[in-house]
Amino acid sequence: MASSKSNAVNWFLHRITGTFLVFMLITHFWVQHYDHSVASVTTDVVAQEGELPTYSDEAAAGVKAKFGADAEVTPYNVVMQRLADPVYAVLWKGFNILFLIVALHHGFYGLNNVLTDYIRNPLGRVMARVLSWSVALVLLIIGLYSVITAGW
Amino acid sequence: MDLTVKIKRYNPEKDDAPHWESYEVPADPLDSALALLLHVKWHIDGTLSLRKSCAHGICGSDAMQINGENKLACSVLVKDLVDDSGETVTFAPLPSAPVIKDLVIDQSRFFEKYRSVKPWLINDTPEPERERPQSPEEHEIIEDATKCIMCGACTHACPSTWADPDYLGPAAMLKAYRYTFDTRDDGTEERLDIVDSPDGLWKCYTIFNCNQACPKEIDITRWLSALKRRAVTSSASTAA
Ligand code: HEM
Ligand code: SF4
Ligand code: FES
Repeated sequence: MASSKSNAVNWFLHRITGTFLVFMLITHFWVQHYDHSVASVTTDVVAQEGELPTYSDEAAAGVKAKFGADAEVTPYNVVMQRLADPVYAVLWKGFNILFLIVALHHGFYGLNNVLTDYIRNPLGRVMARVLSWSVALVLLIIGLYSVITAGW
Repeated sequence: MDLTVKIKRYNPEKDDAPHWESYEVPADPLDSALALLLHVKWHIDGTLSLRKSCAHGICGSDAMQINGENKLACSVLVKDLVDDSGETVTFAPLPSAPVIKDLVIDQSRFFEKYRSVKPWLINDTPEPERERPQSPEEHEIIEDATKCIMCGACTHACPSTWADPDYLGPAAMLKAYRYTFDTRDDGTEERLDIVDSPDGLWKCYTIFNCNQACPKEIDITRWLSALKRRAVTSSASTAA
């Protein structure tokens, strides 16, 4: 019986999103944090369109001071480049949006479970539920905005 | 062999808090843990309170925490509790249950949860002339779950119960499985209404403590997962 208090669908989605996360996290980490060069960039957008945002000199100096002189300070460019790519941007934006939704649902349903383990009165539970899904919604909006506008 | 038996004693009329007491007990490796407690009660300190009845793993009265794990005292042997060096056996009431005295817990909440899932056959079709038949294959689905003796070892081994005493717990939900998956039963919807609730199925995080505790070695987590899937398909079909 699908009463409004039923968590059957959320529980089911938690399993599905958990499975998705295994693959999406691996892809995300590989593309975002390791493979700075190839990662589906068809053209050198910088060369084509002039300039993309870069780290400020101060930020770059800070990174080098902390991690050594040959520390990588260009990932931001690479990320922007990928999201500005005429061919692959749509793919990566799509991936990132799906990743965002999947991770937010998974993380915040999990958080809800943790909260309701300890909050036992019904009103407190409703408040915890509303509050945590509200935070998720705000993060979703911020995330969607960032992903959609980045590079475009 | 001589053993040190440590028992968590509590008499709410006298004690502010539970405390441990030790007793020296002569034992045979093939004695049951229950025999150790009965030795204490009969020969050392008659004020010790515990529940037991059948002494053969049938009635489910004597589930308690033995050496830190929930077990039936009558169904575990001394040789499996002590190694050659450390010869101490500890007894405490089931964790997180309200204690009435010593090893006796207040089971009223536990049985309230049990009754709440309607642990009986729901079928309004006219009574047949003889029994409602069930094939061996149909019985096979619930066979494992029917072995439950309601000892409470599982529910009181579950971290979800420890965190939330209102959580229905594995024992009650295993009963819900046992009747919901009984092919003669028509009560799926009304039972799912009860277990598909904030203090029901979704507080089972597949921790498997229940499986580990169950003296009847019932694959509880597996059956609860089947019940969850049934709740998902049922809520999907009502939504559609
Ligand atoms: C490899 C990827 C992941 C897999 C396969 C996975 C799988 C799971 C599963 C199956 C559960 C439910 C356990 C249960 O209730 O029975 C769970 C719980 C949870 N997950 Fe994930 N997860 C992954 C990544 C993540 C990430 C990236 C986050 C953070 C955004 C996260 C946050 C949570 C939280 C908060 C819970 C609830 C924990 C609890 O109930 O104590 N998980 N995860
Ligand atoms: S499922 Fe096992 S541990 Fe739980 S009450 Fe039944 S017999 Fe005891
Ligand atoms: S005394 Fe009956 S189960 Fe142990």
